[in-house]
Amino acid sequence: MVAGVTTTGFPRPGGRLGVRNHVVILPVDDISNAAAEAVARLVGGTMALPHPYGRLQFGADLALHWRTLIGTGRNPNVGAVVVIGIEPEWTGLVANGIAQSGKPVEAFSIEGNGDFATILRAARAAKDLVTQVSAIERQPCSLADLLVGIKCGESDTTSGLASNPALGVVVDRIAEAGGTVLFGETTELTGAEHLVAERMATPQLRERFQAMFDEYAKFLEEYGQDLLGSQPSKGNLAGGLTTIEEKAYGNIQKTGSGPVVGVLEPGDAPSVPGINFMNTSSAGAECVTLMAAAGAAVHFFTTGQGNVIGNPVTPVVKICANPQTVKRMSEHIDVDISGLLTGEATLVEAADRIVSAFAATALGRLTAAEILGHREFVLTRLHRSA
Amino acid sequence: MRILVHDEGDDVGIVLMDVTAGTECQGSLVRTGAALPPVRTVEEIPFGHKIALRPIAASAQVIEYGGPIGIATHDIPPGAYVHVHNLRSGRW
Repeated sequence: MVAGVTTTGFPRPGGRLGVRNHVVILPVDDISNAAAEAVARLVGGTMALPHPYGRLQFGADLALHWRTLIGTGRNPNVGAVVVIGIEPEWTGLVANGIAQSGKPVEAFSIEGNGDFATILRAARAAKDLVTQVSAIERQPCSLADLLVGIKCGESDTTSGLASNPALGVVVDRIAEAGGTVLFGETTELTGAEHLVAERMATPQLRERFQAMFDEYAKFLEEYGQDLLGSQPSKGNLAGGLTTIEEKAYGNIQKTGSGPVVGVLEPGDAPSVPGINFMNTSSAGAECVTLMAAAGAAVHFFTTGQGNVIGNPVTPVVKICANPQTVKRMSEHIDVDISGLLTGEATLVEAADRIVSAFAATALGRLTAAEILGHREFVLTRLHRSA
Repeated sequence: MRILVHDEGDDVGIVLMDVTAGTECQGSLVRTGAALPPVRTVEEIPFGHKIALRPIAASAQVIEYGGPIGIATHDIPPGAYVHVHNLRSGRW
């Protein structure tokens, strides 16, 4: 019941379809946030993505920064990008990375020009891009054509009982229909990682997954007991989850039961259709940002205690089965499947509701996070800057 | 008073309402709805938190979802509230 569902999407040159049509003003570095935000204020139909980084990073940390910025620009929900940076070389690197996708990109650097001149030129370019992009027509497609990311956050026992199993049914349906789903949250698999490893489609994938998991676990060990205060989180504990293992078993319910066909570095686009694992932090916005950089058009996010994050380019669909949360935090919840706990709904019915929300979101219905202005854009750092 | 249980053989289930001591609870499996033997609470348990379905010995593994979710730090009788005061991680 995903294979048969048609929807529409915005075509992008040589790539996947998107369900939104953003024109993004993308700062390369923190210095360029002010100019980017000024352009977005001047030009309707644009969205700036300010962030705190991009200077004196190096090595794998810098490479991830590029991958995330370029990937965000390449996301199929983005129609065009104006890139602004302090100096031309790194600005060009980001702009070229996005331009290789075939979509329109303009680049401006502030050094030697100043904010005002940069804002003027970038705003002119942005205005023309909005005229161009807003004329793009949707074309028919299947739900399975849309790349999906999944995460759970502010989990409690209703996550493992209800919302994650329901999402897991949908994940299996998407994979069976030829679609692709990304899951991650590497450390949050602790206690159930063997169940994920068992589903890896080849021994090589299994080895890569295990290496990623072990590396992250070793990194955490070096910080010892301090971690116990933050994982499970205070919210998880209040919601009844006691240990990381219990949280992990509940977490993986959302990943379905099918084979895992890809093991991805953070921010890398999947190349094999089906269920793919990506090495990510378990912090909500970091994970969603990386999946958006990999091209996720829609994100399904189950919550128990009430997570509120969104993403600037990918609509985040909030799914909740906690009857208290759906009432007390109703403005944040897109799909109420608390009927699973009261016995009013079956797992299949709950999965069907998620698929309906998928279809409606794809067609243009705004998620709660989009309406409330939750556009958390959070770059993952691997270490300190120089 | 319903309890939801993930797998047959789990040591714990989830209460679906705040319950007081002495409440008779009826468990059922999440995926199939199959009924499980009843258990009576021996103390208050908040909505969404865990109830022991059978006696668990101190230092024994506690099973949920068909696998170990941690180690009991005290003896736990059936109907007891199971959380940070009597259950710790086996991994972290």
